Amino acid sequence: MELATESAPAAEATQTVIEARALVREYGPVVAVDGIDLALGEGEFLAIFGPNGAGKSSLLGMLGGALRPTSGEVRIRGVPLDFSAGAWRRRVGVLSHKGFLYAHLTAEENLRFYGRLFGLKDLDSRIPERLARVGLTNRARFEVRQLSHGMRQRLSLARALLHDPDVVLLDEPFTGLDPSAASVLRDVLRELRDGYRTVVMVTHNLSEGLALATRVTIQVEGRLAWEGPTTSLEREGFEGFYHKVVEGRT
Amino acid sequence: MSLYLDQIRAIIWKDLLLELRTRERIAAMGAFAVLAGVLFNYSLDQARVAPQDVAAGLIWMTLVFGGLLGVGRTFYLEAQDGAMEGVLMSPAPKDAVYLGKTLANFALLFPVALLILGVFWLFFGLDLGSNPGILVLALGLGALGFVALSTLFAAVSSGTHMGETLLPILVFPLLVPMVVYGVGVTGRIMVGRPVEEVLGNVRLLAAFALVALAAGAVLFRFVVED
Repeated sequence: MELATESAPAAEATQTVIEARALVREYGPVVAVDGIDLALGEGEFLAIFGPNGAGKSSLLGMLGGALRPTSGEVRIRGVPLDFSAGAWRRRVGVLSHKGFLYAHLTAEENLRFYGRLFGLKDLDSRIPERLARVGLTNRARFEVRQLSHGMRQRLSLARALLHDPDVVLLDEPFTGLDPSAASVLRDVLRELRDGYRTVVMVTHNLSEGLALATRVTIQVEGRLAWEGPTTSLEREGFEGFYHKVVEGRT
Repeated sequence: MSLYLDQIRAIIWKDLLLELRTRERIAAMGAFAVLAGVLFNYSLDQARVAPQDVAAGLIWMTLVFGGLLGVGRTFYLEAQDGAMEGVLMSPAPKDAVYLGKTLANFALLFPVALLILGVFWLFFGLDLGSNPGILVLALGLGALGFVALSTLFAAVSSGTHMGETLLPILVFPLLVPMVVYGVGVTGRIMVGRPVEEVLGNVRLLAAFALVALAAGAVLFRFVVED
């Protein structure tokens, strides 16, 4: 295994879809993200590993426009994110550890609501198709509060993908999922990767991350301590390598 | 423009559907309106105080306090499961989100305002004058101005650890003009003064509502954006 702490050679070049330049996020005296540069092309799937408090969710928040960077910028297809305009948000789908769902609305009503906010016109056909994709057709008329955690997570995935975003951002998507729900999520994420979407996934789950990603990075204390393509990694040894990088930096 | 209006309609639809399912806010506001009317009825010695003289102030204060019970919780369901975060990460402009939530709150509060008028009419034996339509118009404009301000400040207070308890402290001082104009219209109409005498106050209530709506639409993004 390559144990260099600098970036490994970049993956095959594709058209850049999302790009972060010198991204910094501070919370008072705490620097959560400390000057991160990142560029991902179509079909690239980046898994971000790192210990708690490394700034992974803050990085994801800034990539998705939920958090305003303290400095630096994010570009989607070359266009800087403008917080006062919303059109670029159609290009981004976010699956957070929060579901962004209304517990007293049904699965179908939640998707319809978000679909209208995104200005989607074909909701009558799109919603059943998305629910079928995540295996929730028979739960369409159930209120979200009646669904299990795994079903809610799958519904959140359907919500995040409802508008066919170019960039999909996932924050710990496998947390708390049973094997069946994890399998559905894994299949959908593979489809996204193989369908030339750009995916960024923050996770502690090394095996899922390595199985799905085309690139991996390790974030420690707000910085990317290591980055490289999954093709150069031996999966069995990565855990030890991960601990070596993390413990060497902390 | 049609997308913008549909985004506003989507917010209103969602808020009213949630209220239909939970009935939390309308029940609280309605119960408060009835109980306040009953309590005020027994707390005034009607042998010494003519109900007609004090009812206008009591009606508007019941509207303000009752309204806060409902509007104060407008972001409560949004906070669960980070739903508001999801809305703010959608392409919907922040002012559309604000206007949708404000109009949904108005749709809930206006029937409560009419209920308050009915409760006071029943318990105080009020004469609503020869122009009850003006009373309804004044209450409607007052309710609109009230929800315009209180929705904005509910967003502010929901982001603090004090939550709903902070809302009255923030919003009451700004409601003084609305209460003054509203009580002026209501009191005069109920004692049979001519409509022409209150039209100025009705216009001021309308102006207050419009300014509050415009200010809320502009300022909301600074409240909710990170």
